[in-house]
Amino acid sequence: MADTGQSARNETLSANPVVLVQGIAELGRNFLREVGSVFWFIAQTFEESLERIQHGRVPFRAASFFRHAGRAGVDSVPLVGLVSFFLGLTMALLTGYQLQRFGTERLIPGLVAISFTRELGPLITGIMLAARIGAAFTAELGTMQVSEEVEAIEAMGIGPLRFLVAPRMLALFFLMPCLSTVSNIAAIFASSLVSKAYFSIAFVYFLDLVKDALLIRDIITGILKSFLFGLLIGAIACYRGLTVKGGAAGVGAATTSSVVTAITTVIGFDTLYNIVYTVFFPT
Amino acid sequence: MVELRDVCMQFDEKKVLDGFCLTVEPQDRLVIMGQSGSGKSTILRLVLGTLRPTSGSIFFKQFEITRLRRRKLQQVRRSIGMVYQYSALLSSRNVRDNVALPLEEITDKSREEIDKIVDEKLELVGMKDSKELMPAELSGGMKKRVSLARALVLEPELILFDEPAAGLDPVIASVIDELIISLTEKSRVTSITVTHEMDSAFRIGTRMAMLYRGKIIEDAEPEKFKQSENPVVAQFLSGSTEGPILEDSQDAVAKK
Repeated sequence: MADTGQSARNETLSANPVVLVQGIAELGRNFLREVGSVFWFIAQTFEESLERIQHGRVPFRAASFFRHAGRAGVDSVPLVGLVSFFLGLTMALLTGYQLQRFGTERLIPGLVAISFTRELGPLITGIMLAARIGAAFTAELGTMQVSEEVEAIEAMGIGPLRFLVAPRMLALFFLMPCLSTVSNIAAIFASSLVSKAYFSIAFVYFLDLVKDALLIRDIITGILKSFLFGLLIGAIACYRGLTVKGGAAGVGAATTSSVVTAITTVIGFDTLYNIVYTVFFPT
Repeated sequence: MVELRDVCMQFDEKKVLDGFCLTVEPQDRLVIMGQSGSGKSTILRLVLGTLRPTSGSIFFKQFEITRLRRRKLQQVRRSIGMVYQYSALLSSRNVRDNVALPLEEITDKSREEIDKIVDEKLELVGMKDSKELMPAELSGGMKKRVSLARALVLEPELILFDEPAAGLDPVIASVIDELIISLTEKSRVTSITVTHEMDSAFRIGTRMAMLYRGKIIEDAEPEKFKQSENPVVAQFLSGSTEGPILEDSQDAVAKK
């Protein structure tokens, strides 16, 4: 009896690595399938929109675009501004106290400006938009999907991708760089307050230090990332919404999944971008 | 007008349509009856092209729906109107905008022309005074009427009705049925209605078909349909719990 138990345990142990590898391979395959589906979704949206333009018609109404832009952009300014303000403030404080030990507090403005402009501005804004607007888009489209509204649009001979998805994606695509800029300005402003209050760096001197440290390539990097993140967040949110199954529970699950996927994707692409940029465009 | 040839439709393990064949002539008011979950709504979606069959061919006029590319399919769909079981009105748009949507997106009509057509269709269904209401403010019957108006704006040649009386009280259901009859007669359109509501079916249909186990087992005019000797049809019409429908066998189809 004891021998049978031991051999069963041995069999399980020997099967585990295979099961583990299978599990990892399945995860990897599902991930690649998802990535492929989202990019195919983006391509189809562009195709449908371009087809419409080729026939001399606008793919969607300007009112629809501005409505989504208002929600995604204008309504997000207070949140983005506030969060970036506190982050900039914290960053200036924490780095300032360390730099002060070496008498190099004057590096604070450049450090905050470059960090936010190249990296944190687009990243933090992307994460906030994924949580706020991405979730909203997924929930809206998911609810439309389960209540047959999307099918009704398709049945009328109206392309659902150019009618529903294109204005949302385009709104996020254009508004992300604007919101990243708001984030950068808020963070730099906050760090200027800290610099003045704790490290005796006057505002005018602070601005000079920012101008000296910040390069055009830093600004361009941040803006390009913002465009990319806006496109990805919009695509993932809309894709998740339109592929909802299973009623209200499905909408809930899709919304959560959309936020998690968008945030992970933004961080992943940010890392990829940085690697590519560092390798191909070294300073 | 519409032809389905040897259509099979399978969802995972479940075969919903199995060698399904059906022909619909112009100006027919065909009613397809069947049990819940038998595939009636699936037939409508196959005709619309929003679902692709596992195998088989579907024709609407000279177009083979199953082979059309997306752009051409979108054009063909403009000749087909659909009234959904739960109306499928866009919840973010009011009644006027819901009905105007196909005109705004597909035609080059001016705002005045669109408003005129919308008013005309809403008047036909008795909803002209409710233009500014949102779908959430409408009753089930009102939603159905608005959905019907929306289906008619592009003057379709074929209208599909998915359980038009579902969820409505008998009086309102009769109102909807009468609307369907009068509008389809006036516009001389062909219609396919799927339902399991007996009264509604016999009121609307000029031709009735029974869907059972993925195939049409009876296809006749209403009076002949009522007198069908097919035990499945007889059991369905009588609503009896005894008979082949609840038995897990193929005998009823074989006996026919």
